[in-house]
Amino acid sequence: MMLVFALFFLLPLLFVTIVSAWDYNEYEMIPAFSLRGYSDTFEGCIADLPNLCTILKTYLKTLKLCLLTWVLTLLIGFTVAYFLAFHVRSKTWQIVLTLLCTIPFWTSNVIRMIAWIPLLGRNGLVNRGLEGAGLIHQPVEWLLFSEFSVVLALVHLFTFFMVVPIFNSMIRIDKRLIEAAYDAGATGWQTLVNIVIPLAKPGIVIGSIFVITIVMGDFVTIGVMGGQQIASAGKIIEARLNALQFPAAAANAVILLGITILIISALTRIVDVRKEL
Amino acid sequence: MGEKRPRSFYLLAAFFTAYVLFLYGPMFAIYILSFQGPDGGLTFPMNGVSLVWFGKVFSGSGIVDIGASFKRSLQLGLVVMALTVVLSVSAGMAFRRSFRGATFLFYVAIASLIMPSIITSLGIALEFRLLDDFIIKSGVGDWTTAMGLFTSGLGAHLTWTLPFGLLIMFAIFNRFDSRLEEAARDLGATPWQTFRHVVLPIILPSVVGIGLFGFTLSWDELARSSQTIGSVNTLPLDLQGLTTTVTKPDIYALGTLTSAVSFLVIFLALLVILVLQARQRRHGSDAGKGMV
Amino acid sequence: MSKSSKLNSRVSRRAVLKGAAGVAGIAAGSGALTGFPYVHAADPKVLRYLGTAVNEGDEISKKCLADTGIKIEYITATTDDVTKRVITQPNSFDVLDTEYFSLKKLVPSGNIFALDAKKIKEFDNITPVFTKGQLPNGKKIGDQGTAPWKVLYLEGANSKTFSKTPTEFVTLIPTVYNADTLGIRPDLIKRPISSWTELLNPEFKGKASILNIPSIGIMDAAMVVEAGGQHTYADKGNMTKAEIDLTMKIMTEAKKAGQFRAFWKDFNESVNLMASGETVIQSMWSPAVTKVRSMGIACTFQPLKEGYRSWASGFCVSKAVTGPKLDWAYEFVNWYLSGWAGAYLNRQGYYSAVLSTAKANMTADEWGYWMEGKAAVGDIKAPDGTILEKAGATRDGGSYDDRMGAVACWNAVMDENDYMVRKWNEFIAA
Repeated sequence: MMLVFALFFLLPLLFVTIVSAWDYNEYEMIPAFSLRGYSDTFEGCIADLPNLCTILKTYLKTLKLCLLTWVLTLLIGFTVAYFLAFHVRSKTWQIVLTLLCTIPFWTSNVIRMIAWIPLLGRNGLVNRGLEGAGLIHQPVEWLLFSEFSVVLALVHLFTFFMVVPIFNSMIRIDKRLIEAAYDAGATGWQTLVNIVIPLAKPGIVIGSIFVITIVMGDFVTIGVMGGQQIASAGKIIEARLNALQFPAAAANAVILLGITILIISALTRIVDVRKEL
Repeated sequence: MGEKRPRSFYLLAAFFTAYVLFLYGPMFAIYILSFQGPDGGLTFPMNGVSLVWFGKVFSGSGIVDIGASFKRSLQLGLVVMALTVVLSVSAGMAFRRSFRGATFLFYVAIASLIMPSIITSLGIALEFRLLDDFIIKSGVGDWTTAMGLFTSGLGAHLTWTLPFGLLIMFAIFNRFDSRLEEAARDLGATPWQTFRHVVLPIILPSVVGIGLFGFTLSWDELARSSQTIGSVNTLPLDLQGLTTTVTKPDIYALGTLTSAVSFLVIFLALLVILVLQARQRRHGSDAGKGMV
Repeated sequence: MSKSSKLNSRVSRRAVLKGAAGVAGIAAGSGALTGFPYVHAADPKVLRYLGTAVNEGDEISKKCLADTGIKIEYITATTDDVTKRVITQPNSFDVLDTEYFSLKKLVPSGNIFALDAKKIKEFDNITPVFTKGQLPNGKKIGDQGTAPWKVLYLEGANSKTFSKTPTEFVTLIPTVYNADTLGIRPDLIKRPISSWTELLNPEFKGKASILNIPSIGIMDAAMVVEAGGQHTYADKGNMTKAEIDLTMKIMTEAKKAGQFRAFWKDFNESVNLMASGETVIQSMWSPAVTKVRSMGIACTFQPLKEGYRSWASGFCVSKAVTGPKLDWAYEFVNWYLSGWAGAYLNRQGYYSAVLSTAKANMTADEWGYWMEGKAAVGDIKAPDGTILEKAGATRDGGSYDDRMGAVACWNAVMDENDYMVRKWNEFIAA
């Protein structure tokens, strides 16, 4: 495993870091040491005070989207995992239901992304349905190409990333513990808060790591669902890359990596997922 | 079954159903629109109803050979799946005993998740470029490139699936009762026997889950593949490439077909399992109980 | 590699047939891919063709195989991915289909082979639009932006500098080009549109769109700014920092006011936005308009008084291509310019680079409709036989001379590209 990472991640990461410290002009990159990729990124951060500079605004927006997605995926994911782990009793049905949730992902995301327009657009299924039901008279515009649609699509994509680890840590919980709690007169809620959640914590943290890391770097979903008009850390990198400004893109990626690692290490400081292995 | 379900069961079941409906939301648009008439487009309104687009999927007319890239993605997905399972399980086992570099490996895995896929992709491409240059310089004639589906492409996909596999393993081994293993060891089992007969049966369903997860991630992976796949594309890449020109509802038809086949397979598998279970119950055998 | 990958696919097909033996087959396949010895003997003529799907026609590759024996293997990717792949993996393709404006980025990488003009049979017959910046009738056309003739020639075989005067070292052989303007939904707008200013007209709030490529999006905005009389650019395709600031400020105001529904990034998105009524006015490509119309939805490729923004693409060859492959590449390019493919492109609403050979492969009626602005005598059909326009229709914007003659600027990469992209990110974050 270490070898795979060394070959296909660490070495490439090293190259990227080297490139991030290269100089570049409008048309090509120059292999000479320069921190311009970094300094350009933070351009105007001090000069523009008290207004926020581009990079800060972008990261704030990304964090906001990330937080919203995280809360929603956690709530939905936890509930779904709870249902699968404690209420679906036979393994067969657990597997069948899991597969049922996986099937949509076997149709390529490229196709699924396109399908949001006929679903949420002005003449889409949802607007048609609402109009047909007489609830609205004008199509609802904010359903598509808005922060709403971005979060909706992210939740849609990544809730399952939350379900899988939480489910796996829940089925490790000894059922007798829960029965004992009930026998001792605990309400369902008390059992949930005092037994299930603490014991499922590693799963929750792992799911959170998945969701946070992916959303922080996402540009495809935010791009398409935001009509390419919503800023995100990943999107800055994408714009740089597509303009073939590799050093600047690489510098931005290194910054993103640094920031997200900080978030994650804070998270694992609260719950050490490796402690109880 | 027999015993009564608590009220919370029905509430949660309703919630789960709602979640599944939400998951299938865009899929409904796909299912409906794949029956678009011959002049129809990718959005509403429907322009007649027909089956032509299903025919198009099979006749394979079009710029790219969807069938071929479908197979390529399937192969890659299966290899990635197998490797992800093997590497994740062994790494998961290793992490249960602390070893040198454990923390480092953990953070590397996390970093691999964070790094935007396009950047990783670019880094791998650069690496292989250097490798190619080196090979050409060292005098291998007719060398084109070391890049390909099962070299750089596979590597890129593994950097994506392995962190997931590893972290899910953490969830699986969380509070894993190590007394079971000790008992096995006390009875004279070799480490391999312990793993094979004690640990594996317990974690098997979850391991299947990891495999499924790995396959799905690889199957749908786009950005990481874009710069590392060499001269043959995976299915998502080909589909994305197709969107640069007139795109027709045949891609929806492909989606509908994929779902339909998956449903069919799962339904049949379920049927087989239920029949087997019923037979087992009839014969009163307890062999294989708890396996499915 | 083509050899071994073919073997690989054969193995896999068998594996799929065997079903259960799949995994074993894959293992064998992957082994073949890395370790299979390269055999020369029965090498078929294969060229790996990297490009977007726009110009990659199944019919083209079939016809090419029949005519020349060269098998074209398409590698389809998005515009952005294509340019990135040229930089990162020049070994993964032989022939590259790209646009002129990308050359400013691609040539410095040293991955583009300088083609020998003398080996291109029809080189002297390529429309003067590319070589001299004028129509066949001598009329000069707009030269703002990265116009093809500015980046067509290199100073030497291994040079990375563009030559201002014709040399025999050619970067990119033109194949297809067009003049872009705004597409509109006349049924929803219900009034005539005649100027680029309408793109930012608050009347169309939340129903406008532009292309999500910063360097091109900003040029559309510049067309608007200039049309509204706010500023006259020396070169819309090569702005000064002050001009970029000004243009971006106007774009930012429009964005904050909710003018744009979405920015589109590929052909298909532009069609979907327009066909579903998400947008009623947006920059567009001619075949995309045709596509919307063929779905029975009214859509016009609206000629505007300020003129068109033009683009052109064609073939480059990778520097990694040598030996017989290079000869095939020349053979392929020559075949492409020999008329059949040109006629095919013309029928889609694009323009072909060598007009005379394309004309010989089209009917008089087709030529009249697509190139001369005449009313169609019979139904106009797409290459695949579907009816695009009924008899009596005329093409939006008229004849070749009318459309290409009204080109105001070309898709471009600016000298201040780096600054522009930073400003674009700022614009998105605003």
